[in-house]
Amino acid sequence: MKIFAIIACKLTRLFLRAIGRGGTALPGKVALRICPGLLSYLAKDVNTVVITGTNGKTTSSRIVEQAFIQTGKSYFANKSGANLMTGITAEFAAHATIFGKPKCENAVIECDEAAAKAVLKALSPKIVLVTNIFRDQLDRYGEVTHTLENIRIGLSAVPEALLCLNADCSLTASLAEDLPNRAVFFGVNVPIYKNRVAEVSDAPYCIHCKSEYVYDYVTYAHLGGYRCPTCGYARPQPEVAVSRIISQEADGSRIEIDDRGNKYTAGINLPGGFNIYNAVGAFTALTEFGFTPDEAVNALGGFECAFGRMEKFDFGRSPIRMILVKNPAGCNQVLNFLTNLDGDAVFVVCLNDNYADGTDVSWIWDVNFEVLLGMGERLKKVVVSGIRADDMALRLYYAGIDGDRLEVIRGGDELIEAMAESDAPVFVMPTYTAMLDLRGRLSEKYGVSRFWE
Amino acid sequence: MELRICHLYPDVLNLYGDQGNIICMSRRLKSRGIDVSVTGACIGDSCRLTDFDLFFIGGGQDFEQEVLLGDLASGRAADIRAAVDDGKTFLTICGGYQMMGTHYVTSDGVRCDFIGALDLYTVGRNERMIGNMMFKCSEQNGGSMIVGFENHSGRTYLGPGCDPLGTVVCGSGNNGEDGTEGARYKNVFGSYSHGPILPKNPAFADFVLENALSRRYGEVHLDPLDDKFELAAHEYMIARLAK
Ligand SMILES: [Zn+2]
Repeated sequence: MKIFAIIACKLTRLFLRAIGRGGTALPGKVALRICPGLLSYLAKDVNTVVITGTNGKTTSSRIVEQAFIQTGKSYFANKSGANLMTGITAEFAAHATIFGKPKCENAVIECDEAAAKAVLKALSPKIVLVTNIFRDQLDRYGEVTHTLENIRIGLSAVPEALLCLNADCSLTASLAEDLPNRAVFFGVNVPIYKNRVAEVSDAPYCIHCKSEYVYDYVTYAHLGGYRCPTCGYARPQPEVAVSRIISQEADGSRIEIDDRGNKYTAGINLPGGFNIYNAVGAFTALTEFGFTPDEAVNALGGFECAFGRMEKFDFGRSPIRMILVKNPAGCNQVLNFLTNLDGDAVFVVCLNDNYADGTDVSWIWDVNFEVLLGMGERLKKVVVSGIRADDMALRLYYAGIDGDRLEVIRGGDELIEAMAESDAPVFVMPTYTAMLDLRGRLSEKYGVSRFWE
Repeated sequence: MELRICHLYPDVLNLYGDQGNIICMSRRLKSRGIDVSVTGACIGDSCRLTDFDLFFIGGGQDFEQEVLLGDLASGRAADIRAAVDDGKTFLTICGGYQMMGTHYVTSDGVRCDFIGALDLYTVGRNERMIGNMMFKCSEQNGGSMIVGFENHSGRTYLGPGCDPLGTVVCGSGNNGEDGTEGARYKNVFGSYSHGPILPKNPAFADFVLENALSRRYGEVHLDPLDDKFELAAHEYMIARLAK
């Protein structure tokens, strides 16, 4: 049965690619239909690092993966956003013989936080890195405490896994409390931004007693040095922490990491405060996995940025950068970073409301787009596109972007043409399926690699 | 003219973009040269509700809604009931709307007392009613069509003491059974619609604002605005949901 399931999975994948589709879910769906326990069978002899959490999964996975690449260890990873049970199963089947024997020793697996409940148990990973927990696509996950619960249930099935937890996120850090697992905390010991956008906290109240937290400092959103004045729940002292932010530039940051008293200077080849967290989280997972601190530092400065995470395209007159947005916290961080850059800019926001984007677009009203006004004349234009372009235009109009600088371009090809002709650098912020759509069109027109490659 | 808006519990009832309603109301008033002030009243803040003309309460997470009950019991609920009786305008959404009712029964059968300003109650269920919604306001509420997004597990049932805000055209509304959506009592408007409700339903936004201004200044009619962006978003969803 297992062999049959594996073959079916491989054939489906081959077939989908042959007809030019990037099928990431269907092969796994087919295999699981034939043999529901297939994933735990395929994963049992693989050393797996799982990365889950709301924001930063993909970038953290790419950094972890980079260390495997640079040190020549045999590994595979789920690259293309196939981070549910089906996609992960397909990835394991593709990297196994038809008898189910793994072809690689190690795996780096990004796991959707809602899917963690079932996936963690099947994978029995060596290390689980939890990046953070924010509000995200509420129509799918319910509430942040439900997301937390999903991860907690998943972890409760794998007591032998080592947990790397974000100490600065009061929700994530609480995972260490009721689980027998060994946990290592990472965090940022100093504030990141001089000026932060005003944003709503996703977790202002103590998870245990519901008193309001007191913060010694905030890095962004609800992350920072929190403590509960009533019951004493507080940020655990992280073993691995960013002790100093040396510089922050448009193309990356330099930080000092304090790993239990040993200090390392590292360059991160992606900018923004959220990537400082991704870096220190990945550093922790890597050193716990057995990489040396130097190997981990090399990975931080050498990884390929994942598609849609500040990806750069040069098909136009000016550089075009694409940054995936999917929830208010992530979008606020992107705006935080972009509006702090010098020079002119054109912004493009592509808002879709398909299942993978979140069908509720209300969240755009929780994003502080008003911060764009602070750019003054440097903001040349804002273009909106996507299925819910009209909602996005309305949000920006109410943020104070006047009608002359606000343009709705509905067609994807027309949008790409307009981006190519822009005299100012272009920053594109698409939701997930809007990004896939744009990449599909770019690959047809300019040969940009297809997303599953 | 001026309008003093109080945003009740912006610290906990702040999900699903409902603060867009505050952005929308402020802007639509300022566009007409009407002064507007917005004051947030968080848990534990002491402020006199008599100082305001319009109150907004949004939706929140169940986890944080529990934090609220203590604050309500310590006198806030009585102040809110007094403001309602005094004819002050309220716009309440989802969790905020449920809280204006008499009580909530959780899916485990536990009863929580709420503010009790409106004759309605809510019963918790496990499966959520989620998706785009459309409803038509009754004539008493301006008669306009409203598009939005609902996401709630509670089923709300109206007593004889209040009227529905409108009739469901698409989606579940109050309880998925009786075709009603939202509630209206005196100058209190309640709805399950996020989206947020006001920006892309400009006729209803102005109806609520006129209601609040008229209480203070006598029969006010707002000048029309150029609602190009508002109506584009409104009409797109009507066309899509009408299919
Ligand atoms: Zn506490």
